[in-house]
Order: sequence, then structure tokens, then C-alpha cells
Amino acid sequence: MTQIVLLNSAEHQHLKINTDRGAALGDNLWFTPTFPLEFRSVQAQYPIFFHKDQQTGKLYPVALFGFTHQENLFLQHNNWQHSYIPLSVLRLPFLIGQQTVREDGVEHQQRVIHIDVDHPRVSKEHGEALFLPFGGNSPYLEQVAGMLETLHFGLQDSQQFVEQLLALELLEAFTLDVQLDDGAKHQMIGFYTINEDRLKQLPADSLAALHQRGYLQAIYMAMASQSNIRNLLQLKNQLVQQAAG
Amino acid sequence: MNNPIRNIVIVGGGAAGWITAGLLAAEHNADQGVLAANPKLTISLIESPDVPIIGVGEGTWPSMRLTLQKIGISETEFLLCCEASFKQGSKFINWRGQTAANHNLADSYLHPFSLPIGQQELNLCPFWLPHQHEIAFADAVCQQFQLTELGLAPKQISTAEYSFINNYGYHLNAGKFSQLLQKHVTGKLGVRYIADHVSAIHSQQNGDIKSVATREHGEIAGDLFIDCSGLRSILLGEHLQVPMISQQQVLFNDSALAVQMPYPIAEVPIASCTHSTAQSCGWIWDIGLPTRRGIGHVYSSSHLSDSAAEQQLRSYLTADFGEAAANSAEFRKLSIAPGHRALCWKNNCIAIGMAAGFIEPLEASALALVEWTAKTLSNQLPANRAVMDIIASRLNKAFLQHWQQIIEFLKLHYVLSQRSDHDYWHDHRESSSIPATLQDALQLWRYQAPSAFDISHSDVLFPAASYQYVLYGMGFQTQLSGSQKPSLQRKAQQLFNENIQRIQTLKQALDDNRSLLQKIRLHGLPTI
Repeated sequence: MTQIVLLNSAEHQHLKINTDRGAALGDNLWFTPTFPLEFRSVQAQYPIFFHKDQQTGKLYPVALFGFTHQENLFLQHNNWQHSYIPLSVLRLPFLIGQQTVREDGVEHQQRVIHIDVDHPRVSKEHGEALFLPFGGNSPYLEQVAGMLETLHFGLQDSQQFVEQLLALELLEAFTLDVQLDDGAKHQMIGFYTINEDRLKQLPADSLAALHQRGYLQAIYMAMASQSNIRNLLQLKNQLVQQAAG
Repeated sequence: MNNPIRNIVIVGGGAAGWITAGLLAAEHNADQGVLAANPKLTISLIESPDVPIIGVGEGTWPSMRLTLQKIGISETEFLLCCEASFKQGSKFINWRGQTAANHNLADSYLHPFSLPIGQQELNLCPFWLPHQHEIAFADAVCQQFQLTELGLAPKQISTAEYSFINNYGYHLNAGKFSQLLQKHVTGKLGVRYIADHVSAIHSQQNGDIKSVATREHGEIAGDLFIDCSGLRSILLGEHLQVPMISQQQVLFNDSALAVQMPYPIAEVPIASCTHSTAQSCGWIWDIGLPTRRGIGHVYSSSHLSDSAAEQQLRSYLTADFGEAAANSAEFRKLSIAPGHRALCWKNNCIAIGMAAGFIEPLEASALALVEWTAKTLSNQLPANRAVMDIIASRLNKAFLQHWQQIIEFLKLHYVLSQRSDHDYWHDHRESSSIPATLQDALQLWRYQAPSAFDISHSDVLFPAASYQYVLYGMGFQTQLSGSQKPSLQRKAQQLFNENIQRIQTLKQALDDNRSLLQKIRLHGLPTI
């Protein structure tokens, strides 16, 4: 279960965050949200596709880690096999929230840090402290705050990216059929990718508009990232082989 | 004679006029929703400010999804603008009637929009028949029976516009629907709107309509005229003198009382089906929109007085809305002349909608027939006047086939009833009132389940599955001889199990109608 509360130094003074990797710590993720500003790092290792939020129906880009629910093929022996871990995973168990504050009589929205206190990474015993013994944020918490800030702007930009793609009809549903070395077949549905035929026919002014926002680069990086499916397959085949052997 | 058909004049707004204008414009004047630089057709729609639209057609078939998509309206916009909700079929209550033999079985059944599971591979009827006392037919072969009882939606917020998990049409506010169509069709598809009254009709020598005269816009000429003028049928009926063929001897209902009732509390669930509850001399429709319910009593005036009909409607309302609301409700009286024109197309004039025919809304066939006629006209639009008569005669033939099927299919609901509380029901079962082809079919179905072979033409409105849902929902007995092959029995069992599993999964995964509509209001449906 999750229990999300506003982080504060009084109540959460003694909390520590376990920054190790492992399925028991919630890293057994099939995929995670990503955003164009992160695509350069993500596409080097993971396939980037698009997926729908089940609560809103909105599409968002994701980095894919496996072929089925709770399968993260990059997670082996409590070790994440790649150097870059997407920010939406790294930030756990923290979330960004909005709070209305009054300053000089004027109300405005401020971003604040929330924490899921029931997350398996949270304890009073293991990991990084959040607050310094005599007050003030720990360097770790400062780092988290920076990460959440980047994530916040990245996801906002990502929404606009997706809206542009939809307006230009550049996304299409696809079904991923994979066959493992042992003959087993997997079919993945519910994912979307760039419609390359549409992209090729896009008029110059639409291309220029995409380029201006940096989205043309993001589109090509998402397309190129698909070759990482092969890495995923390889990891899966190894896993199956190990299990059989 | 060889001049191309370019100039199309539609007389009458309302859903029929605007759907026709929209389909024609989308097909011939636009590409992927974008109006061409030089549209092929000039389409004008003349709507009289003097004539109010009837606007009680508030239930559609699933075909409306494709129609709206073709016209290029976003489903999110449509749902929110037209106070629409999802309709997954019709639920018939108290139609069968209680007898000594069936008094412990519920007197209600569903005619759902989804076909029976595995319909392409296997007709499940023969395999269900031995279990008819354990499970309702619609429940055994279709997920919508249980899911609609729970008031669940046919799709999720992540399901793209016009796509579905379970097949659906709509319940909608007819007035707002016409307004949305008008806005879209004039704004995006270049249809010219003329708000004026048609005062005279001018003919060519060959009897074709040359032009219609209007009060303020002068004479409006056209190559093809489409009569969407409603019951008056001013072009096809009044001017071209195409006679009405009455069907009152088959379907007696000729009167209706309609009322709109706000929900007693705002957040009550929205029903997933049209409810049709049989009365002593007719039936009551009940359509749930997000904002209100549209309810009406359809009855035969030769069997029931208006005041008695009103009384029955008030007592229906009392059950759900309380006595005070029921007694103060004001009813709108409508007359129905059940029947259709002998032709829908004569000379250069085709009638669509009530101008071509009208029947009680028992299976909500009115808009479906509008869509069929408009779609067929649009697909087969004659290139010139010389070939128009060929297309017209084809369309007239299909038009009459559709009407015959609608009439027989509606009649089926009455013929199967075992109610005996009024002469009305006895009269319905009187063989002189039953079309001969329906009598034959009923004879046949005593020994075999309805199949595609029972339907003589293609592009049908009611497939064999609809007959199965109604027959077995009404408790009709088919006596099969011999037993089914074991391999097919295994296949059937597999399909029955698959249906049960899907129901279990979807019960967890689907929102109720109101929750889904709320999410749509917040986020919109995805376009892909």
C-alpha cells in the first residue's frame, strides 16, 4: 500500500532511504515514464515507447525494462545492470506535489516534496538520512529535490510533446511479437510508437515547428531506441536458459 | 440528362437532415475531415423556423459511432455537448407475461448490441438450449447481460474515441444533437444553411423538382432534392404524391406520451440500456441521460384512452420519482401513423427520416434507418440524371426490404408474448395481423434456431443474433432433434467459459457510466 504525505523535518527527521537496487525495493518494474529531455540517456539502453495512463487515458513515453508485468530484465542479483536509471525510478519514494501558499497576501502555487512512507525503501535504520542531526536538509535530500524539479519540468514538456505528436497523427498502436530461443512466444499490446510513414510525409512547416521545440530530435531518438528490444530479448533468453540449466 | 449531379438541396433540419448533409459533405467534399479547395457538391439545407423538430429520437444504434466518425465529430465533444451516455442494448421488462409454467422465472431479458461470443465460428443456440432453465441466453453468450445490470460502461478512459470493449450506441439529447451536427456541418464541412420557409415547389416537365421557393431567399434550384421535412413529407408525399403504406394492422401503437424527468438526486447511476416495460396496451420507454431521464408511453388508441394511458405513465413515474413529481409531470402528446411511403425515391427526390416513414421506437430503428439511407445515398450518389432512376430503383427495393424486416422484427416482440391482461395482446397474436413470412419463420424456429439463412437480403438491420436474443429472451421453445457432435460441444463449452472469464475480468476493470463520463469531462478520450 502507499501512504503519501507532505515531507517535513519534524515528523520525518529520523527517516532513512535505502538506495540499493532490488525487486524487494520496488524495482521490479516492467516500464517507467520518461520524457524528451531524458531521451538521450534513456535511448542508449532502453527501448522508448508510448503507453496510456489507465486513470486518464493520456499517452506518455515510457522506457521499457521487460516483456511482462513485474519483469525488469535489467535487474539481476539486486544490481541494476546499466549505468543510467530513469529519473522516475530514481526519485522513489518521493513525489512532487503542489501546495497553495500565501506570501504578502498573494496566493500562489508552490512545489513541495511528498514521500510515500510505506515504500519499502523507507525505514529508520538503513540508507541515506534526509535531515542533518542539527537541522537542515542532507545533501541527499538536496539531490532529490533537484531531481524532482527536473522531473517536473520534464514531464510537463513531455505532455506537450505528446499533444504535438497526436495533433500531427504521428503515433500509432503496435503489437510487439517476440519469440525466444526456446520457441516461447510473447505478445505485448497496449503500446504505441512513432508512425514513420506519417513522419516521412510531414510538410516542412510541421517539421520546423517540431524542430524548434527539440521534438524532432526526440522523435528520432525514440525511433532509434527500438533496436534495444534486441538487448531485452538477449537478457530474457539468458534468464530462460539459466532457469532451464 | 448527362449533366453531373452537383447541386443538392436538403429540405428540413433535425437529425435526419444534418446527418445526411454531414455524410454527403464528408464523403464528397472533404478528405480526412478537411474541406477540399473545390468541393464537388454544393449542399444547401433549408430549415423552416416555423416548424419545431420532434426530437424524441434519443436512442441510437452502434452504427452511430461510425456515422459520427465519418462526419468527423470528436466523440469527446459529442458526448459532452449532447448530454450523451452509452447504450449497450434494450432491456425488455414484463413482455413475456406470467403463466403457471413460468411464474418463477424473471420476466425480463436483454437484447444486447454485442453478437454472441464466437458467432463467426459457431452458433451457440443449440448448445445453450439444454441449459435454458439454468441461465438466460444473453447471459450465457454475451458479457453485456451482467455488465449492464451493474451499470458498467462499455469502454475505459484509455479506450480510443469510437473504439469499444463492448459494442455500444448512445442515449442523447436530440435537440442538442441537431445543434452540434449543424454547427459542425456548416462550420467544418461547408454546408450552406438557409433558415427559411419553403412556400412552393416548382417542377420540370418530366415531373422532377426544379426548385423550391422560399420566403426570403427566393427560388432555390437543385439537381437532387432530399426530403427531411418530417411527418409532412412536403416533397415526396405532398408534392410527388407517393402514398403512405399503413402498417397499423400489424403494429397497433399510434399514440405516445413523452416526458422528461430530472433525477431525484444528481449522482444516481445512469442506466446502460434503454428500458422498455410492457403495459396493458403498449409499453413505456425509459432512457437515461447524464442529466435526466426521457420516458414515454407508446400505446394503441383503439385499445386504450389517453387518460388511462396517462394514468399508467404516472404510476410508472411514481415508483421512481415519488407521487408528487409524478402527478405534476407534464406530458407531451404525439401521434404516430405507423407506416412508410411506397417508395423513398421518386424522380429527383429522396426522402430520409420521418418523411419516408415512422414506426413506434421499440428497437430505436429510426436513426439507424436514417443513417443507412444517407450512407447508401452517399456511396451510390448518381453521376447524372440519366442514371438516377437505376440507383433509385435499387434503393427503393432495399428500402422496402428494410421496412419489412423492421415491421416483422417489432411484431415478433408482441407475437411471442404470453400476456393475457388485455385484448391488445390477444389481437397482436391474431394470425390475421401477423405477416405471412413471420408466421413461416416462427414455424421453422420451433425446430431450429434462427440463423443467417432466415434473412433474405444482405446489409441487414437486424442480424440472426437479434432474433435469437428476442426469441429466447421471451422463452420461445425450439425442439432440436438429435444431439450435437462432441467436438462442437467441447468448442461450445470453451466459448461459454471464455464468456464467464471475460465477465469476471471486466467487472473489475470497467467504471460505471457516470464515473467514465466524469473522467471524459476531465481528460477527454484519447484519439488513438
